[in-house]
Amino acid sequence: MPTYGNEPETNGRQRDFVVAGIILVLALFTSYLSEASQQRVSAALQVSVLRPFIATQARLADSRLRATQIDSLTAELDALSAMMSTHAALVDENRTLRDLMDLGARAGTNYQPATVLRPGTAGSESMFLVDVGSDHGIQRGSPVVSPQGLVGVIREVRPGSSVGMDWSHPEFRASAMLADGTTYGMVENRRGRFREEDRLVLNGVAYNEPVGPGIVVVTSGLGDVFPRGIPIGRIDGLASTQGSWLKIYWLEPMVHPGSATHVLVLTSEVSPDVSDVWPSDSIRTGEEAARGGPGS
Amino acid sequence: MRLRVWVLIALLFVLHFMLHVGFGFADGAPDLLTVSLLLAAREIGFGRAAAVGLIFGLLEDALTVLAFGANSIAMTLTAIGGAFTRDLFVGDSRVFLVSYLVIGKWARDLVHWIAVGEGLRQPFVDQVLIQGAIGAGYAALVGIVLAGLTGLGREA
Repeated sequence: MPTYGNEPETNGRQRDFVVAGIILVLALFTSYLSEASQQRVSAALQVSVLRPFIATQARLADSRLRATQIDSLTAELDALSAMMSTHAALVDENRTLRDLMDLGARAGTNYQPATVLRPGTAGSESMFLVDVGSDHGIQRGSPVVSPQGLVGVIREVRPGSSVGMDWSHPEFRASAMLADGTTYGMVENRRGRFREEDRLVLNGVAYNEPVGPGIVVVTSGLGDVFPRGIPIGRIDGLASTQGSWLKIYWLEPMVHPGSATHVLVLTSEVSPDVSDVWPSDSIRTGEEAARGGPGS
Repeated sequence: MRLRVWVLIALLFVLHFMLHVGFGFADGAPDLLTVSLLLAAREIGFGRAAAVGLIFGLLEDALTVLAFGANSIAMTLTAIGGAFTRDLFVGDSRVFLVSYLVIGKWARDLVHWIAVGEGLRQPFVDQVLIQGAIGAGYAALVGIVLAGLTGLGREA
């Protein structure tokens, strides 16, 4: 009867056991390494095999920090954007007020500074409210001006406020002349097919009077409604002719009513000639003033 | 087959340290080093398994401050134990593989708990029974998936 015993181990398996035993001893030995040796081994592994993983964690930590910073920067950017958006309006308002102060200095004491309010309701187009009234010496027909020129005229006066109409109103009329006083006419509103097409025209210009583009048109002072010399607009081309005796010219307005937020309302004591309030080198449209163009 | 084992070891090594160290998932990521060691130990023999275990243990020890060597001992013993099971069990069933991974991982944590030393170790119930059991189940789950993907374990 054959006897069975353990299968003799091959040399390979024996060697395997020996190697495993040695490695196990080495593993046990690591616990008894000196602290300095342990630190050297750790440092060596950290700067070699483990370096990519540690670097990845460092990069992730940086990214998280940057993400936090980006949130913070975005919030700051939003705040700055909001500030800048109001800043532009403030700059514009500041410029308008400075121009008004200059205008006030030139106009003397016969005016009242006012803030324009637009009702914005249906049917109130071309109308505006100003926060000065009869208590401030304002009368019906008082001219409303801005640093650029004529805005409109007061139609109703109350103790503390007034209602005015700007030049875009169909009933607006102003006796006018070229700035050099050579040609006279009547400035009025001409309706377009749409309200946006409403334009100012200089009507009633004698057919043979030479009127070139760009010439400034100012109030003439005739009729005692507006004092002489308030800029209204610039000649912007020939609109039409009537027979061979009359020409009508388009005008580029000095003031766009919608942009007039702070104005001066001239009182009844104002001089009948205010030409010196708008000297020729200061005449410019609202757009030119915003760009810092001619006259600035 | 051998090549597949070494590729798996390398991949799980990178993945383990990327998840634990690189991304900082800590206990949220499975112990892929132990899983790869257990799966490979039955394929590569005592000597190589012990060497891989020692290297893995040293790498983990390099990131510990006070218990240097505990991981080296635990991983080396786990590797040798895993290789030894090849002589005891010829299993290719899923039940065997799950049991093998659960017991292997749990044993690794137990050895580590012992090797850390009395002054540093956490309470046995918390560290070995609760966290060890959870970690063992997590490792077994991942190991089963990996074994299914690679074919390791079943053919052993």
